[in-house]
Amino acid sequence: MYRELRIIGFDGSEQLHIIRTNLNGNYTSFPADPDNTDYQEYLKWLDEGNTPEAADE
Amino acid sequence: MSTLATNAITDASGGNTTTINGYTPTMSNMAGRNRIINGDMRIDQRNAGASYSQSTSTIYGLDRWSGDIDTGTGRWDVQQVSDAPVGFSNSLKVTITTQESQPTSARHQIFQSIEGYNISDLGFGTANASPITVSFWVKTSVTGIHSLNVSSGNYVYTTSYTVNSADTWEYKTITIPGATAGSWGNTNGVGLFLEFTIGGGTAEVVTANTWRADTTTKIVSGSVYLPATSGATWQITGVQLEAGSVATPFEHRQYGTELQLCQRYYTIFRCGTAYGRLLSVAVGNSSGLIRATVQLPVRMRAAASSVDYGGALYWYNGTASGAVSSVSIDVANDTVIGLNCSTTGASGNQYYMINDYAGNTAYIGINAEL
Repeated sequence: MYRELRIIGFDGSEQLHIIRTNLNGNYTSFPADPDNTDYQEYLKWLDEGNTPEAADE
Repeated sequence: MSTLATNAITDASGGNTTTINGYTPTMSNMAGRNRIINGDMRIDQRNAGASYSQSTSTIYGLDRWSGDIDTGTGRWDVQQVSDAPVGFSNSLKVTITTQESQPTSARHQIFQSIEGYNISDLGFGTANASPITVSFWVKTSVTGIHSLNVSSGNYVYTTSYTVNSADTWEYKTITIPGATAGSWGNTNGVGLFLEFTIGGGTAEVVTANTWRADTTTKIVSGSVYLPATSGATWQITGVQLEAGSVATPFEHRQYGTELQLCQRYYTIFRCGTAYGRLLSVAVGNSSGLIRATVQLPVRMRAAASSVDYGGALYWYNGTASGAVSSVSIDVANDTVIGLNCSTTGASGNQYYMINDYAGNTAYIGINAEL
């Protein structure tokens, strides 16, 4: 399962991060970067019709 | 004791195959010859010996080793265990947890991605490509033919090894001709995949022992489909991939050296004790957000692409504390990473430390894997 996280970065811009809940109950976060393989997998998951949990701010 | 002073040692015919205690030293079989990192499975930063379940996503487990399931419903767990052949202390163990008869299409594998810098001397993709030799110890409950692939991601060699006795450590060596075609990375991206097949579908069979253009790994005819047997096990250790046609003894490296090689790709910060400190100084940037800067112990392969975290991660400012709800990358390069620690209760213009609250469960892992 995934959820989105929006944070204002050190440079003042808004960053979108994705938080994945892993099978062991812990978490992996990664930036919404088109070159990031975790993010590519997230986009594929969305394309399959899935919906992330409500975003954190 | 006597002393030998000479400029060269050659064999009786003048060649360069002189042996020392039966071993022929060459440029490619001395220190640094093993292109596999953590081939003896001693390093397990992420799970510290705990079992984990392989999902359909690529999961890194023991350092530098990952698993993947491309279609198929069979499932398996992976664990670093202490069962190993003489001369080794650990192995990687796969245990089938969800049985599945061999389907038409499925690919299960344990693999290591070798960085391009570490294979650039092999000359793959050129007419001067060197042969390589893969050697390893394997133990499995299912005897028979097991497949193995070497791949660039677009050029693949599928071969096999045969396990003769169940639940017995056996040493295997496979020599593969150099790949004179294909596109092979030679910098800090993927150079070469070494993939041990856990199971492949009936439609995945290809002609063995020849290079071919392909984007997926396959199996040799008659290969074992390990998920077909509930509870089946497969273990491996002492994995070595080296230049040349001779399998030399496994290159044992000091633990600290091996750990540093692993930390180029993944490094984990654990407290080591309840209430232990993870990050010494962090700065409250705004309400609910703490920024921490971490100096990495080893220059990583690239800027981190993701962060793992879990356990009782807390902040403390000398008078109050609270939970850290998430950790994400603010900025990163290959030596330093800036982390966002999202919280409740923290505020701007204060100094914080990030620590374990209780139970020594908190950790942060920095990932720059291939």
